[in-house]
Amino acid sequence: MIFLLRRFVVLLCTLASVSFLVFLIPYLTPGDPARKILQARTGELNLDPSAVEAARVRYGLDKPVIEQYWNWGQNALHGDLGLSYTSRTQVSDLVGSALAVTTSLAVAALFIALVAALPLGSLAAIRRGKASDIAITTVTQGFVALPEYWVAPMLVLVFALKLGILPSAGWTGPASMILPAVTLSLRPLSYFTQVTRASMVDVLESPHLTAARSRGLSFAQAMLRHGLRNGLLPVVTLFSIWLAGLLGGSVVIEVIFAVPGMGRLLYQAVTDGDVPVIQAGIVCIVALTVLITTLTDLLYALINPTVRSSNVSR
Amino acid sequence: MTDTLTISGLTVELGPPGSPPILDRVSLTVGPGEIVALVGESGSGKSMTAMSLMRLLPPGARMRADAISLGDIDVLHASEHEMNHIRGARISMLFQQPKRMLDPTATVGAQVAEPLRLCLGLSRSQAHARVIELLADVGIAEPERRAHSYAHQLSGGIAQRVMIAMALAGQPDVLIADEPTTALDVTVEVQILQLIAAKRAKLGMSALFVSHDLGVVSSVADRIAVMYAGRIVEEGTTREILHSPQHPYTKALVKCAMLKPEADGSLYTILGDANAARAVSHGCRFRARCLVCTAEHLEQKCESEEPELAGCGRAEHSSRCWATIETRKAR
Ligand SMILES: Nc1ncnc2c1ncn2[C@@H]1O[C@H](COP(=O)(O)OP(=O)(O)OP(=O)(O)O)[C@@H](O)[C@H]1O
Ligand code: SF4
Ligand SMILES: [Mg+2]
Repeated sequence: MIFLLRRFVVLLCTLASVSFLVFLIPYLTPGDPARKILQARTGELNLDPSAVEAARVRYGLDKPVIEQYWNWGQNALHGDLGLSYTSRTQVSDLVGSALAVTTSLAVAALFIALVAALPLGSLAAIRRGKASDIAITTVTQGFVALPEYWVAPMLVLVFALKLGILPSAGWTGPASMILPAVTLSLRPLSYFTQVTRASMVDVLESPHLTAARSRGLSFAQAMLRHGLRNGLLPVVTLFSIWLAGLLGGSVVIEVIFAVPGMGRLLYQAVTDGDVPVIQAGIVCIVALTVLITTLTDLLYALINPTVRSSNVSR
Repeated sequence: MTDTLTISGLTVELGPPGSPPILDRVSLTVGPGEIVALVGESGSGKSMTAMSLMRLLPPGARMRADAISLGDIDVLHASEHEMNHIRGARISMLFQQPKRMLDPTATVGAQVAEPLRLCLGLSRSQAHARVIELLADVGIAEPERRAHSYAHQLSGGIAQRVMIAMALAGQPDVLIADEPTTALDVTVEVQILQLIAAKRAKLGMSALFVSHDLGVVSSVADRIAVMYAGRIVEEGTTREILHSPQHPYTKALVKCAMLKPEADGSLYTILGDANAARAVSHGCRFRARCLVCTAEHLEQKCESEEPELAGCGRAEHSSRCWATIETRKAR
């Protein structure tokens, strides 16, 4: 319980401090925020000073920063993230839908990566030094070097244009997720495989596995019952790091496959100086990241009793 | 009574082909109900011998032997599947570092129950009852509570008791104990040795007791085999080995075990490096550290030819040393 409570306090503190920093972004960059907003919306460089002052009042930019943050934070807690400067739509709608798209894409990609990496990494570990190990290691390490702007068109060329079995772009349903998810999965797949391999090598050499076998357990039984759980610990951590990392979206993939995700949204918002979208986008990503890390720590403690030793021993 | 465990001509190689063998033609028998100790300094190959018997050598190890058998079971040629029925049921093993031998992520109870369920086919509740019984049987207080502990919550002594409970669960014929008390406190060591001795007697098991400590071994073993650089160099009853060691290496070991200070007050140590001895391609492996050789003017023999493990004229006592062989001839 104390463990949970502590994690919860950390979560709140992180959110509060990060959201404040994010809120300060427009004030930390050079230039007058009110003027920048108007420029972004009108496209005009020579603005009437009275129009700028009017905008300053309209957007509440004349109030002290702390007060602005307080108002913004209160609204945000009620799900009101304000209006986009450029499109005058609800920021919560924009960020919400983009985040949903990006999250499902990220989860799909990491799922693919995991499903491939666990058996590949384990096989490489078991057949350490043999041809299959070298093949798996070399190929998956090669994935890291493949740029997405090369892989994506190649996949489109083969599966959409040549074979015609998958849509080439858009966000229209599960089938349209496959190609971007596969593209996105290659690099995590490579890292997951390496980490699985390394951790399984350790597991295979761990004395308790030998001891389990000395009691008559077969290799498979010993592995399943005493190897995998230990071997998966580092992969769990890496998975959460990648999940958090992918929440920002990938501009390259989202542009090539016309996916309406966070990458494109934030890129556009930065180009347009759409401050509310940037702020909300970053705060949401950070909130999710902290949440994921917390959940991972809980999962880790669940798998690994030594982490929660102080709570367990009676 | 149980069956005889026989090892003959066991050779184990590791690493690139042509590198000196880890074990070189090791032969050993453990009779029914007998306790045989395998003694030698660190790196001599004691654990390798034990793991060969379990057929659990590290990957890449190449094992050859004329025979490894337990009664009419051919351990050497048994399939992996057959081995799964031999391990734990006919041959069990205790290890040097009991805490590292337990899965850190599983409870003690779950691990003790596992072979009962998987290998003996007990139901969940039967297995649980048996676990508590087994834990209580090896002197663990509050077995119900201990069953829910994890390895990192146990002391080394308790962990070894758990290992003993697991090793005995299948009522094996032979217990291989690989330095089961080396990692423990001296007080705990005595308790564990007594526990093993009591259990062995009760179940009528025979035992191969691996140790680098002649002192420990002398209190439990019927016979002692001394290993040096992957070779058995002397073998005999505990009494014979302790009171009239023949091989210069055994003599040195006995001297070390007695811990009698030399005339100048220093403790006796065996000079030289045992691991280099493995690479010796001809002659006696102990040559580089042997003082007897020069004293007896045997340099030429000891350099050129490795002596056989030969009887030294006393019952069930043999030694691999030219000095012993020459003395016997001279008589
Ligand atoms: N996994 C391994 N890979 C390579 N060499 C090994 C391995 N395990 C042991 N050896 C080598 O095999 C030799 C015999 O080792 P073994 O563990 O049998 O010695 P030991 O007599 O049990 O020593 P100790 O008292 O330290 O346990 C040593 O020289 C060691 O260097
Ligand atoms: S054979 Fe020679 S070198 Fe070897 S132990 Fe005997 S006397 Fe020493
Ligand atoms: Mg050893």
